[in-house]
Order: sequence, then C-alpha cells, then structure tokens
Amino acid sequence: MVPVSDVALREVSVAFDDVPALEDVSLSIETGEFFTLVGPSGCGKTTTLRTIAGFETPDSGRVEIGGEDVAGVPPENRHVGIVFQNYALFPHMTVRENVAYGLRYRDPPDGKSTGERVTELLELLDMKGMGDREPEELSGGQQQRVALARALAPGPDVLLLDEPLSALDARLRERLRVVIREIQQELDITTIYVTHDQSEALAISDRVAVIADGHLEQVGPPEAIYREPATRFVAEFVGDNNLLDGVVVSTDPPRVSLDPGGGLAEATTTAHGSGTTIPVDGVSDTNREVTLSIRPESLSIVEDGSSRLGGSNGPITLSATVETVEFMGDAYRVHCEWQGRELLVKTDADEPPSGTVTLSFDPESATFLEAP
Amino acid sequence: MTADWNLSRAFQRVALPAAVAATIAVLVVVFYYPVGHVLAAAVRDGGRLTIKPIRAVLTDPFYTGVAHHLFVDPFGVPAGIADWIAAGFPSVRLGLFGFTAYQAALSTVASVLLGLPGAYVLARYEFRGRRTIRSLTLVPFVLPSILVAVGFRAMFSRRGFANDLLGVGGLGPIELLGTLQIIVIAHAFYNAPLVTRLVATAWEGVDRRQVESARSLGASRFRAFLDVVLPALLPAILTGAVLTFVFTLMSFPIVLTLGGLDLATVEVWIYARVQSLALQEAATLATLETFLSLSFIYVYLRFENRQVTTRGAGQSLSRERLSIGWRTLVDPRRLAIAGYAVVVAVVIVGPLVSLLVESVTDPSGQFTTAYYEFLLARQSSGAVGTVRPLPAVINSLVFGAGTLLLAIPMGTVVAIVATRGGRGSRLAEAILTAPLAVSGIVVGIGLLLTFVFGTTVAGHRLVVIGPVAIVFAHAAAAYPFVTRNVAPALGGLDPRLREVARSLGATRLRALVEIELPLVAPALLAGAAFAFAISIGEFDSTVLLAEGVESYTMPVALERYVGTRSLGPNLGPATAMGTVLLAVTGLSFVVIDRLGGRWEP
Repeated sequence: MVPVSDVALREVSVAFDDVPALEDVSLSIETGEFFTLVGPSGCGKTTTLRTIAGFETPDSGRVEIGGEDVAGVPPENRHVGIVFQNYALFPHMTVRENVAYGLRYRDPPDGKSTGERVTELLELLDMKGMGDREPEELSGGQQQRVALARALAPGPDVLLLDEPLSALDARLRERLRVVIREIQQELDITTIYVTHDQSEALAISDRVAVIADGHLEQVGPPEAIYREPATRFVAEFVGDNNLLDGVVVSTDPPRVSLDPGGGLAEATTTAHGSGTTIPVDGVSDTNREVTLSIRPESLSIVEDGSSRLGGSNGPITLSATVETVEFMGDAYRVHCEWQGRELLVKTDADEPPSGTVTLSFDPESATFLEAP
Repeated sequence: MTADWNLSRAFQRVALPAAVAATIAVLVVVFYYPVGHVLAAAVRDGGRLTIKPIRAVLTDPFYTGVAHHLFVDPFGVPAGIADWIAAGFPSVRLGLFGFTAYQAALSTVASVLLGLPGAYVLARYEFRGRRTIRSLTLVPFVLPSILVAVGFRAMFSRRGFANDLLGVGGLGPIELLGTLQIIVIAHAFYNAPLVTRLVATAWEGVDRRQVESARSLGASRFRAFLDVVLPALLPAILTGAVLTFVFTLMSFPIVLTLGGLDLATVEVWIYARVQSLALQEAATLATLETFLSLSFIYVYLRFENRQVTTRGAGQSLSRERLSIGWRTLVDPRRLAIAGYAVVVAVVIVGPLVSLLVESVTDPSGQFTTAYYEFLLARQSSGAVGTVRPLPAVINSLVFGAGTLLLAIPMGTVVAIVATRGGRGSRLAEAILTAPLAVSGIVVGIGLLLTFVFGTTVAGHRLVVIGPVAIVFAHAAAAYPFVTRNVAPALGGLDPRLREVARSLGATRLRALVEIELPLVAPALLAGAAFAFAISIGEFDSTVLLAEGVESYTMPVALERYVGTRSLGPNLGPATAMGTVLLAVTGLSFVVIDRLGGRWEP
C-alpha cells in the first residue's frame, strides 16, 4: 500500500502581531507515523501543532488532514486529540469524567458504550481503578496518562502531543515515552509530537523535523538527522558535536583544509604538520568555506603519538592536549585542545586520559556542512 | 450529521456574538440612551444646539462662586486677583461647585490621615484578628452610604450614643449634625478603609531584602523607610486620595441626610432641582458634574498606567507582635496605636454600634422591640409619615433579585469580551465599562426623563414604570462588580483547558458553559453577592425613580425616616430598618469574603 499522507502543511506561514512564527513550512506526515517536531523554545514547533489543531489560523498556505483542506474547520470538527505539557485536566471532573468528555460529542469507536470505552482506555494506560479520583489527587505521571486517555477516547484521526513529558522528572519521562510509543504503535495512530529535547525526539520517532526560527532545518529519520545533519544548526542542536571550520583546497580528489589560518597558501603546506587536510566526498568548489562535523564518539584516543595526515582513505590522527575530563558513568567526556580549537571526545576507557593524546577518526564518519 | 445538528452548531457559533450584542443593546437602553438624553438636554433648546444652559450655570455666582468671573469677564480676572491680593486675601465665595470640591478635598485629607495608620498597623504588626480586620476594610464597598448616614445620626445626634456616653461623664452635649465636620468625618468613615486597604497591600508588597540592603549599606531605620518603603507606598496613597476625592465629589446621601440643603453639594442640589421640577437645570448640572468626574478619572487612569507595579516573589517585611506583655503599656509606638484604636472606635465602629443600640433602645433608654415590630406591622398608613416599612424591605429584595437577573449575564458577557481579546474587544470593553464613571443620580435623571416620563420609539410611545426603571438603574450600577470578579478568574484559567475541550468536539459555547463557567463559579457568586449588595444599598437613582411609597426601597425609606423633621430626635424605625439593611449587606459581605471576591478600583 502506498503510504497516505495523513497530515500535510503546504507553505504555511503564521505571524503574531507581524512577528513571523512560521515561515513557508511544508510538511507531510504519513498515516500511522510517529512524527516529532524538535527545536529550541520559541522556534515555532508548538505553533505548528496549534495550527494543525485549529487554534491558530495560517496567514498563508494550507493545512490538510486526511487529504482535505481544513481551512475554516473549527477545532471541534477536526477530529484530533491533543495533550498538553501541563495536562490541562478539567479540575472539576473526575478522571472518568475527564476521559469521557470527548464522548459527549462523538460516538465511541467500534460501537462501544461510553462506559466501556472509558474503562478500556483506563486499562490501556494502566489507570484501572483510578476513575473516581479527582485530578488533583494524582501524581504528574498519572495526570499525563489521564490526559492521554482523554485525547484517545473518541478515537481521533491524529494525536497531537505538545511537550507532554516536560513537566516530569527525568526517570519518569523516559518510562512514559516508551508507554506513549507502545500505545501509538498498538493503535497505529498518526502522531505528531513536539519536544525541545532532542534525545527524546531521536528515541521515539519514525521521523523527526528540526525547526529553528520558524522554518524547517531538516526532516528525516532519527539516524539521518544524527549522522548526516544538513545544517550547522542541526549539527549543533542534535547531540554533542565538534564543528570545525575549513576550506576546500582541491576537488579532485576532494580535500578540505582545517588550517586555523584558513588561507589556501598555508593549506597547501599542511604536509609539514601545521594543519590537516581531509579527503571527503561531495565538496565541489575549491576555496569554499565549509564546516566539518565530527561526533564525539567518532573520535577515539589512540596510543601512538604523532599527527598523521590522511593520505588516501585511512584514519586521520590529531595530536591534542587534554584540558578537562568529565566522568559520565559509562564513559568519559574528554575536552581536548587541538590547534586552538576545542574538541570533545567520548571514550569508554577505564582510566581518564591526561596530557598529550592522539585523536583518531575515520574521514567517512565526518559530515561537511556549508559554513555559516 | 443531521440538519438539526448543523443548525444547533450554527446557533452555537453565533450565540456569543449575539450575547455581546444583546448586552450592548441592554446597556443602550438602561444607560447610554438615558444618560445621552441628560447630556442632550443640557445643550439643546427646542431642537437647536445651544450653550445657554451651561453658560447660565457657569456665569452664576451661586454655582461657580468667585470663579464666575472667568466666564463673565475673563480679561478682568488678573486685575481681580491683584485687587484680592491687595485687599489682604479676604475670604471668597466658593459657590456650589467650589464648596463641593472644598468638602471633597477636606474629606480626602481626613480619609488619608485616618487610613494611613491603619495600613501601618495591618502591614507591620501581627495580632489576633488582623486578617479579619483586613478583610473588613472591604466593607465600605458594600455598605450603603445612607446606612452610614443613619449610623452617624444615631451616634452623633443630640440624643445619640456619643452624647449618652458624654452625659455619663457629665460632659456635652455636642451638636454635630448639620455641620461640615460631620460630613467630613462620615466621608472619612467611608473612604479611610479604602486608603488603608490600598496602602497596606503596597506595604506588604515591599521586598524586605530591599530594606535589608539599605540597612546594611548604612541607612538608619527611618532613612530606609524614607528611601525604600515610602516610594513604594506613594502611588498607593495617591491612588487612594484620588479615588476618595472623586467619590466624595459625587457624594449624595451622606451630605443630604447629615448636612441638608444648607451644606448642599452638586449632587444634592441636582436632586433638589429635580424635586422642584427644574429638569433642564438639573440636567445641565449633571452634565457638568459628569464632565468633572470623568476628567478626574481620566487623569487618574493616565497616572495609573504610568505606574510600574513590581510585585515580585519577594518576601514581605516581617511583622512585629503588637502585644509584648506589660511593656505594651509603656512602649510609645504601641500607645500611639492604642490612641488610634480609640479614634477608629469612635469614628468607624461607633456609628455601626450606635445603630444597633438605638434600634433596641426607646427614648427613655429602656430596651424595646417596638421598632422591629413596627417594621413587620402591615399598617395601612404608616405611623411615620406615609412610609410603610414592610413593602420597602420586600421591594429591596425584589429589586435586588431583578438586578441579579440582568447584571449576572451582562457582567459575565463583559468579562468574556474583556478576557478573550481579539479585534474590537477593547472598544467593546470601553463601551461596556463606561457606566462605572457616571454617578447614579445622572442615570436616575436620564431614566426619569426618558422611559418613566415616556419616550417615542418608532412611532410607539414607550412608558416604563418606576420599579422597572429602578431595576435598570441598579443593573447599570451593579454589573461592573460582576465583571470585576469574573474577568480575573476567567483570565486566570489555563486557555488550554478550553482548547482541549474544543479538540474533543465541544464548540466554543459548550467549552465555555461546561468547562470555564463551572471553574469560575466562586468568582461569579462573589460578583453576584456584590451586585446584590449594590442594588440593596443603591440610593442615588432610586430616590429619583421611586414613584411613591409603593416602590420605596430600604435606603429610600431610611432617608424618609431621618429626613422627617416631625419625627424629631427619635431615630427608632430608621435604626431598626438600618439594622435589617446592615444584616443583608453583611450577609453579602460574608459571601464575597468567603469566595475571595475582589474589587480593586
């Protein structure tokens, strides 16, 4: 079956008091997909969600749900379920009444009665027996489960989750995100998840969209976002990273100089060890400034000493000085200095490294970005 | 979806705009049209625009006193001032407007002086009953001013409680009724708690760390007060002063019953003019008065907007214990507070206690229930003039209920408009809240000139009976109190509650009815209690609109009792009815206080 696009944004722009919040955003989310919008606060990810739900009106562009343009369709007719960070449980209703609220307006799916449906959802979310509690008697995690059950009860076409876990402590957050992912897969419901936590985004999504300043930076599966960041912003925002500015010195074979002076003349003399040139794929113009992105785990600390320039396709080694070491439990985070630049290395060595070390990495694991 | 379903959705989508339109329509009827009529009457003569009536008032020394020269011969004013200085500042004639402003200024000074120590005590000392006293400072907002007047009569008249007490000590008697002093003291009774409340709140908002920083930088206790605390209090003091000035400028029942026509202010004179059917003159005076009070309110709002309110999470200054054992008796500050407590007892507690005492005391000083029996007696013609008490009690309650029927929906709709934002909401809010700034007597004259006397709408002659007009006037005065309570509660609700409800299928109206209104129910009830108290105590417009004994309310009956000279010094029936009125407003107050009702001016 050809995947159907269930929710689509076509060149959507939204502005508040003439300050743009979203600019020409186009997205297409497939049926049954777990799609995450991630970005720093104020980037427009919540606005995107609210626009889909019908709480914001696009100044231009179209929003489609189930292939139909929903312009002018009020929120109550869009058949989406929404869960907010602060749960927004109705404080004057019990858990059961909260979950049943949407069933006042829509018949429960599968010909069930309201009571059966509510019980089913409370069971699904492990909240059996809590139906008569007041929201204020529940813990944060329990409140979030009720909010999720309430959103799911009428069997919405799309589930929208706006930072649903941000108010919870780290451990509970990790546990609940697994619950959310399992339920999403069990119900096979198209889900759009908003978070500022990039590790959460990578952990549970089918696809991730990174948003900054109201526009899309990159859309793709978590692995691609992490391993092949398309922009400097994505490289910096998603995971730890080392970004090194350089210049393309030749295109055949493609080589980039990381010489701190950046000048072409010095770069050609890097054979003497003052700089490093790296063979790469996909750099076309000589003299162009580019940024090299190397993940800390792609760098390793090797025993053998001297700096070695990448001749053909072998690993590249750099001679660096250890400055600070952080113990993380399962690894050390080592902050090194190499030619006036800071390099972050992750190593699972038994002892913390110190003094002068040799760092090694495979040029294949580096990504090149357009310099800012 | 069925057609019915769509129809009901369509209805729901227009319901809120329709409610706003209906509220504006009601306001036009009960407020804008009548008040507009008053303003028009002041500048119209047989269908033509004219400034004659306004000119006549402004150039009449009776009204404007020495200032009438400004309007008669503006170029002669400098020479006139020079002559006046040369003559050694002889006293000048103030005129009605001048006297009104003069008594308001005196009352403002008295209110601030009486209110400030209270703020100090409430903000800086801890003692039993502090919280209760603090919430009691809200009472003047629900206490009918006519009740204050009766209380003052009971306290300070020749045979009043104060003279009884003085007589025990072989002193007195003193005669304060009919003097400017008693009016100023009564105004202070009314407005000092407002000053206390505003300033105490500001004082509690001072972050102790600021004071501690100043002290550790070398400032003495007094110096730190001057440099840190006082600047934080000044805006609140000024706000209290401006509000007191505007309130006392428009004061009516207190001046009418304690001062009489000899000490008439503009409002009292307007009332007298209406009584002698000089309606155009009354309308002109009402127009000028409205212009004056609106100017003051405008200046006040401009000032208020410039204030930066800093209410951080800072910790308040710590309170000292008021009672420190036997040393309390020798501590100068605590002795001064005791002296202040005596003044408060005489001026604020005294009148209310006298009211209660006099209502069960016969002229010879013996206990009696005669006055209460009199209230319940279904006399065919009242023992006191023609005022029958029981119908007045019943009328007050019926009008109060009618007011709630209008004021609750109106006030709620205005609160929704004010909190929803969006285009046009600011304009709508302005239109909807303007009635706050217009005195009841102006609304009263307006309704009298239009619906009560009859008005022609689209060829049909429309006449509204007094009781209906009274409910209109009460609703116009009361609904802002509903709004003031409901709007902050609605605004404080998480908008996401509404959004969740809508994404679950509820229309905007259903979300409002099922989620938002139940959550603001306490505020709505507090607002309703306020509205009821306002209606029960309303005097200014009621006294004009009550066509006869049949539509008298408790406040109007009270005024009749104390205003009947033949009654002599016997205040009995008035104090008994006053006690009933006090009980009803007291009950409203308890509801308001329990539900956290608010009224920030």
